[in-house]
Amino acid sequence: MTQSETPPPEGGTKRRDLLTTATVTLGCAGACALAVPFLNSLKNPAATTLSDKTIEVDLSSLAPGQDMTVQWQDWPIFIQRRTPQMLAALQTPAHIATLRDANSKMLQQPKDATNWHRSVRPDYGVLVGICTHLGCVPSFEKPGSAPEAAGGYFCPCHGSNFDAAGRVAERAPAPYNLPVPPVTFLSDTKIRIGHSAGDPGFSMSDIQQI
Amino acid sequence: MSRLIRNFVLAASLAPLLAALPACASTPAQRGLIVFQHVCAACHGMEHVDYGDMAAFGLSPDAIHNWAADQQLPNGTDDNGDPKTRPATPTDPILSPYPNEAVGRLANHGLLPPDLSRLAMTLPGGAEQIRRILLSYAPTPAGVKLDDGRYYNTALKWKHIGMPPPLQDGMLTYPDGTKSTTQQMATDVSAFLNDVAHPHVAERRRIGVYVLAYLVLMAVLTFVLQRRIWKSRP
Amino acid sequence: MPAPEKTPGWLERRLPVMSVLRREYIAFPMPRNLNALWSFGAFLMVTMAIMIASGLFLAINYTPDITQAFASVEAIDRQIPSGWFLRSLHMGGVTMLFACLYIHIARSLWYGSYKAPRELLWLTGLGMMLMVMVTAFAGYVLPWGQMSYWGATVVLNAAHTIPLIGKPVSELLLGGETLGNTALHRLFVLHFTMAFAILAVIALHVIALHVVKPNNPSGIDPVSPKQTLPFHPYYTSRDGFALCLFLMVYAGLVFFLPDLLTLADNYVQANPLVTPRDIRPEWYFAPFYAILRAVPSRLGGLLLAVGSLAVLFALPSLDRSPTRPATRRPLVRLSLPLAFLSFILLGVAGMHPPTETWLIVSRMAMAWWFIHFLVVMPLVSEREITS
Ligand code: HEM
Ligand code: FES
Repeated sequence: MTQSETPPPEGGTKRRDLLTTATVTLGCAGACALAVPFLNSLKNPAATTLSDKTIEVDLSSLAPGQDMTVQWQDWPIFIQRRTPQMLAALQTPAHIATLRDANSKMLQQPKDATNWHRSVRPDYGVLVGICTHLGCVPSFEKPGSAPEAAGGYFCPCHGSNFDAAGRVAERAPAPYNLPVPPVTFLSDTKIRIGHSAGDPGFSMSDIQQI
Repeated sequence: MSRLIRNFVLAASLAPLLAALPACASTPAQRGLIVFQHVCAACHGMEHVDYGDMAAFGLSPDAIHNWAADQQLPNGTDDNGDPKTRPATPTDPILSPYPNEAVGRLANHGLLPPDLSRLAMTLPGGAEQIRRILLSYAPTPAGVKLDDGRYYNTALKWKHIGMPPPLQDGMLTYPDGTKSTTQQMATDVSAFLNDVAHPHVAERRRIGVYVLAYLVLMAVLTFVLQRRIWKSRP
Repeated sequence: MPAPEKTPGWLERRLPVMSVLRREYIAFPMPRNLNALWSFGAFLMVTMAIMIASGLFLAINYTPDITQAFASVEAIDRQIPSGWFLRSLHMGGVTMLFACLYIHIARSLWYGSYKAPRELLWLTGLGMMLMVMVTAFAGYVLPWGQMSYWGATVVLNAAHTIPLIGKPVSELLLGGETLGNTALHRLFVLHFTMAFAILAVIALHVIALHVVKPNNPSGIDPVSPKQTLPFHPYYTSRDGFALCLFLMVYAGLVFFLPDLLTLADNYVQANPLVTPRDIRPEWYFAPFYAILRAVPSRLGGLLLAVGSLAVLFALPSLDRSPTRPATRRPLVRLSLPLAFLSFILLGVAGMHPPTETWLIVSRMAMAWWFIHFLVVMPLVSEREITS
């Protein structure tokens, strides 16, 4: 190959250095700006403040001790009708001693569910069925299905236990209680999920973790 | 220089800008939206346009919400297998008021009111032709016999159309006080449909100006740079 | 003053990328006399990069299903944040890509860049052009508008008439009797697979270029280092400036004239029961479409359209004269611009309804295209070699 390096042009003045730097910098800045709309397009177009969907659920067919699952905002929502035994079990000091956040100190629920039963009315529990560990859907253990079972949730992925109020056991890998969605009772057997009459300012985006 | 930097930052932050702009005094397109809501939407939909997209015409989130909630959309079936409905939300499309094509035809002497999402683009003559149609209704001349559900209209080649004259003077009140003459409404609604058929035009042009300004600047810089480099070649 | 030899670093000893980049892109000796037409290769690179990037982000939001394709493209234009920009970038990019390709090829024709030792450069380039055409054809079907549907129907039916291979190929693409869901999905996969395959051929093309070195307007390869300049900073700075001008045109298309080169009928969803009244190809296929229409035989038209490209592939053996640039070949200097004009006339004819006048124009232009490559070039080179 007949190739010898032609020396770069002489006389690189300070002025040219400024010009080169400015050109290269601006060029790179332009390329970065071009990346903005590309990344922007990956945003969720529905994630505007405009999309606040609510659903209404009829609870009249739910017998005490039974549970049902509905879908709200693409999340499974567990609704349980609690028996007096379940409510009693939630309050025994021995059980409370095994919980990580028995008094719901973490913001995982609206104000009107920040109580010992973590719900608007004690006889109904409404929870977002997403394990706070790594997002699996726990399954409901019916009260009395095992000799000592008081009703609660068990996550199949890494074995987190939650009680019927969604409170996580101290020894579970999941760090927080199950989230409670905003709930309003429209009548004794009808609820609206997505809006809380007792805590109107509540938004799911404010909670600690889903 | 600081101006330049500002322009550059503006150009770089493309999309979020639109939301930040204040809703200015009402433009023809904004008034046209009102005509669409009150007149056209009785028969036509814009199935590719969401209620939320109307924010581009200065409609407030609440107004969008309420407008959407007025429309019922099919929502599966209830426990007895009967069809259920739910109110539309801002992320739902502005559908035709007819549940299906057959009903739409039945209600309109066998003709289906076309979807308006892109009509101003696909109709030969574009938005101007829409305006002309709206303003070219006339009494059927003696001797001309039109079928049922046909209306004499000089803007069309065959001089008739299946759409009954939709606009009448003063049929609605514009919030900005503009007088709602037929002329005014036809102009406004065709401006609106033109924007709907060319989504994001205003944003597109505004960003384009910044991009071109940036490229001109870069062209000047690179031109000077390459001239110096080539001048000092061995 | 060259830097003193350093011992090669850790990376250099294992993978000498840095020294290769230096050799091929910084110190690489370029002819001193290249003109602006030599910047179109750089434009092609940049446009390809933009096409691939925007295509990927469009694919994230696109649904290859005949019931949803049209609506998903509408959603990209309307609801996906910045989606309108990505789509315009992709649509405008096709025009810029074809424009640059045609100019790039015209440059090579004019300066005889297809001759020894650059035959492989020429053939990989033409191969890429065919691949770009297939990609563009498949891509145009994706939005599932009226033009998508009817354009593809016509092309696939035309392919059907090719003896032997036509039927199997169009059946492979269609996967059914007519253009439907299977076909759309296959064309989607073909579209992006072909686009990535083009990247691989670009690599071959550029490697070949670095082996045989660029041609130049004089057509005489530089022999001494004095006749060359290092790629950087001379041609980097010049291509940089040219690129700014190029991007200004591109931006003008994207931001101010997005509808200029698209057909409004493609914003009507595909309807297998109604063919749009003025069905036309996109501008970059218009010359070939004009040939199809100008020949009163279905197979004949197809063969001539394919032949108009085949003559380019055969060119290195049709033109055997060692003289490269048309500027130094008086007859070619007359005949080649007429061939360019023929190509443009065919394009214009292809965009107009096939009236008698346009048919005559198409036939004359087509005739000259073939005469230039099949008669003029061999005869002229014959004479130049013997004299
Ligand atoms: C996607 C498509 C293509 C890309 C990205 C591309 C890229 C390039 C680049 C960067 C160069 C060097 C700069 C220049 O000389 O302009 C080049 C040279 C060349 N290309 Fe292409 N090219 C493409 C398609 C083609 C096609 C379709 C042909 C022709 C049939 C072609 C023929 C050539 C030739 C002959 C050269 C050497 C030119 C010379 O120095 O005279 N290329 N190409
Ligand atoms: S995800 Fe539930 S325990 Fe890990």
